[in-house]
Amino acid sequence: MAQVLLVEPDRYLANVYLEALENAGHKVNVANTAQAAIRLADIAHPDVIILELQLVEHSGVEFLYEFRSYVDWQDIPVIAHTIVPPAEFNRSKKLLADELGVRLYLYKPHTTLVRLLSGINQVSLVKR
Amino acid sequence: MPGENNQIPILSQQLLLGLAEELKTPLQQIARRAELGAMTGKIEPLEIQSIADSALKLIDNYALGVRLSMVPEELEIEAVSVSSVLYDACQQLDKMAKNYGVELQMSIAGRFGPVAAHRQGLQAALVSLGSALIEALPATGANNQQLCLKLATHRSRYGIVAGVYSDTKKLTNDALVQARKLQAVSRQPLINVSHTSGAGVFVADAILKSMNLNLTASRHQSLYGLGTVLQPNHQMQLV
Repeated sequence: MAQVLLVEPDRYLANVYLEALENAGHKVNVANTAQAAIRLADIAHPDVIILELQLVEHSGVEFLYEFRSYVDWQDIPVIAHTIVPPAEFNRSKKLLADELGVRLYLYKPHTTLVRLLSGINQVSLVKR
Repeated sequence: MPGENNQIPILSQQLLLGLAEELKTPLQQIARRAELGAMTGKIEPLEIQSIADSALKLIDNYALGVRLSMVPEELEIEAVSVSSVLYDACQQLDKMAKNYGVELQMSIAGRFGPVAAHRQGLQAALVSLGSALIEALPATGANNQQLCLKLATHRSRYGIVAGVYSDTKKLTNDALVQARKLQAVSRQPLINVSHTSGAGVFVADAILKSMNLNLTASRHQSLYGLGTVLQPNHQMQLV
């Protein structure tokens, strides 16, 4: 079981993911924006972050730069679970993985709930 | 004129790309909701139906926008009651709003005579705008507060304004101008307002343009929004 911070701008999808993750035994906090995600991370102390990169105003990448600037949050694994297609993502994949600690990239339209849940287990195990 | 002919495919391609991106959202919602239903045994067929219906409306509205741009002869301007168009648009948006936890309101206070417009086009533009904003509003961060979207009409010195309004101050003319420039090159042209391609806004823009109307930022009481200015049909008023 993990403490998950889900950063998902689409409210409907966020509710679906929330239900699926809670059913799987995870504790979940949901943020719609990068600012809300920073606030929630401070309160909830997540083990894993599931992050959409395409957010309103501040992008997921901006969130990561801010998030990683805090010492306590430098090792928390991040799953990029995003609508941005792999072809567009490839250019920044190395930067996100090496500098910003994105452990796993999942293209949201092709990612089932089962795959997302196994992704959480995967990065949680790597962390331990 | 060659310039005019060149504009049609460009307009269609831009809209089509935005639409394709936009349609990923309802399709994902259906897929994930169905998967969750299979996992938990809790199927929500009406919810899935309403998501599919909203997506179908967006496709229909896109098709109408392209058709009106390409075949202006199909554009039959008639005397239209703005109030009834707003009411119908509100009905069409109701289920989507519920899925997103957005409260829909209508404001048609005041007596307005008929306006000259293409009824189907005007309604399609308002529904497209409304659905784009219903999707966008919760993503702007107001996680726990009740979100409201108001379909409203009022009189201004330029004519009768019909539009979709909320309390977000980010719906400005500058944001709209910027978004139109970014539409062809950015995945997220309305970055301060929407996390998606905002296709609904551009579909509305195209439909209104084909009717020689403009999509502009406007205010309704203390709210901010996007709408269009319609001209009263004085001929009908005389009758």
